[in-house]
Amino acid sequence: MPCRKDYVKESKDPHEVVACITEKFEKDVSIDIFREQKAGIKNETQFYEVWLTITRERFLELIDQLFEFDFLHFHITSGNDDGDVVTLYYHFSLFRVAEQGKRLGMTVGVAVPKEDLVMPSLFDRIPGIEYSEREIREMLGVDFDGLPNKALVFLPEDWDQTIKPWRRDETGPGPEVVRELS
Amino acid sequence: MASENVSTYKLPIGPVHVGLKEPITAWLDIDGEKIVNATIRPGAIHRGIEFMARDRNPIQVISLSERICGICSFSHVTCFVRAVENVADIPVPSRAQYIRALVLELERLHSHILWAGVACYSIGYDSAFHLGMLLREKVMDVLEAFTGNRVNYGMGTVGGVRWDVTSEVDKTVREMVSFYRNEFDAFYDVVTEDPIAKARMRGVGVLTREEAIRYCALGPTARASGIRCDLRWSAPYEAYGDMDIKPIVPQDYYGKAYGDVFDRFLVRVLEVYQSLDIIENVMDGLPEGPLMWEPKLPKLLAHLKKADGMGWGAIEAPRGDDTHVVRLTGGQENVTWWKVRAPTYANAVSWPLMFRNNELADAPLIINSVDPCISCMERMLITDRSSDAKQVVSKAELLEKCREKTRRLMQS
Repeated sequence: MPCRKDYVKESKDPHEVVACITEKFEKDVSIDIFREQKAGIKNETQFYEVWLTITRERFLELIDQLFEFDFLHFHITSGNDDGDVVTLYYHFSLFRVAEQGKRLGMTVGVAVPKEDLVMPSLFDRIPGIEYSEREIREMLGVDFDGLPNKALVFLPEDWDQTIKPWRRDETGPGPEVVRELS
Repeated sequence: MASENVSTYKLPIGPVHVGLKEPITAWLDIDGEKIVNATIRPGAIHRGIEFMARDRNPIQVISLSERICGICSFSHVTCFVRAVENVADIPVPSRAQYIRALVLELERLHSHILWAGVACYSIGYDSAFHLGMLLREKVMDVLEAFTGNRVNYGMGTVGGVRWDVTSEVDKTVREMVSFYRNEFDAFYDVVTEDPIAKARMRGVGVLTREEAIRYCALGPTARASGIRCDLRWSAPYEAYGDMDIKPIVPQDYYGKAYGDVFDRFLVRVLEVYQSLDIIENVMDGLPEGPLMWEPKLPKLLAHLKKADGMGWGAIEAPRGDDTHVVRLTGGQENVTWWKVRAPTYANAVSWPLMFRNNELADAPLIINSVDPCISCMERMLITDRSSDAKQVVSKAELLEKCREKTRRLMQS
């Protein structure tokens, strides 16, 4: 369990970060996108963004590895119903306060099989993740192991909780709950 | 809580009005006048716009994203189109990048000035409130002269912007900058000179640096707690790539960041001056060139239909970093999925920490200090669990409580 409570002052090169992750996690990780973000009149590279996919078994290990670099600033969890799996994307920032132009956007994708929709909660590492985990729980039906408060966050109290609004299968919202306004 | 301890009341504030994507109820546990604990319940009117986007193409979703927020409408548009541009690999012409930065800063001016006025109102400083409302009109006039609208500007599109800076706009913007340089000092004085305002805000609603980090606070809320974060600095986008922007933190001005309402006020007031400098830089450095990567809409849509992949837009909106994630699938016209995370979503997580051990009279001020658009806090319900009695406290009564505290301070 990482004990880091503050941001680092010095950043690491994004290539170095990626190399370190691929070396440690080998076949369990895949680097999907390594994007340079350009801006300004000269259209120069301003910062980098990495999207990777990790197996659920080694997810926590990867998070702890990322904590070795810096306190992992959490943005949001996005996700989608991809047939047999629900894919979650955790969006983080590394080196958020380190130096000018050194923030590294880090997206961690995990495929969660539908027969066992459970993810380990990151609440004890990053308490700020609470709403997002609760949102994913009610919208996509993925449970979070270790999340203390599992109450609804955005859906109304009288919502039929067997309906998961963002799912595309039989648990998703049918035409009877969708009201066309125009 | 209430059932074990009869001296504790449970008191909800909100749900706030439909105008905000995150209308929030704050359930406060009150012991006398002291707030013991707070629970936040958002979602009173979740509109499901992310679900609605699945039936729309990226250009149509721009209109949806513009209507997420009534003040930072362009921040959401920029965030969304940046995510789409990432997926479709669309470069934005440099003139468009500068115009985007200009509108983003105008929006920040609008948001911060409005906030400063409303914060003064909640502590009963009515003259400053009226001044805030007066000053805010100027930037709204400029936005109207520029885009034709005061709130939803219809400014952004994928690959550029839709309105150009003409010589008249240039003149209006520069006039506005000098107007604010002269007139905004009143708010600076509120922060630095007025002992009553300081007494109401110093030490109230504290969020420590460590809490702000662990609870992922954003924007002025995080900066007031001493975190040197600003996406315009740490991950420059659009015209900010050509500028040298420093995050504004209270320790640079007062030696120490307390993370209280006062610091949040200070950070926002100083950011107004920073925005004025940025606007001037943008106007001086505005390059010539096209406004859009592809002005022909059918051609742009055909390109977007071929795009396949995921994009992430994150920009520094007035209240903190705004995040949009988009998935486009090759061969499909519509957005596959879209996720929006407005700054208040993240900042609201730290509310319970700010409320703790504060007085009920400070609750409106603390809620206000994160700038969550609670202008429509309609009424509250006090429930005394021990006697099962219910009492409705109107917004006006709660506000009176907050203002009365200022009067008490002024007499002593």
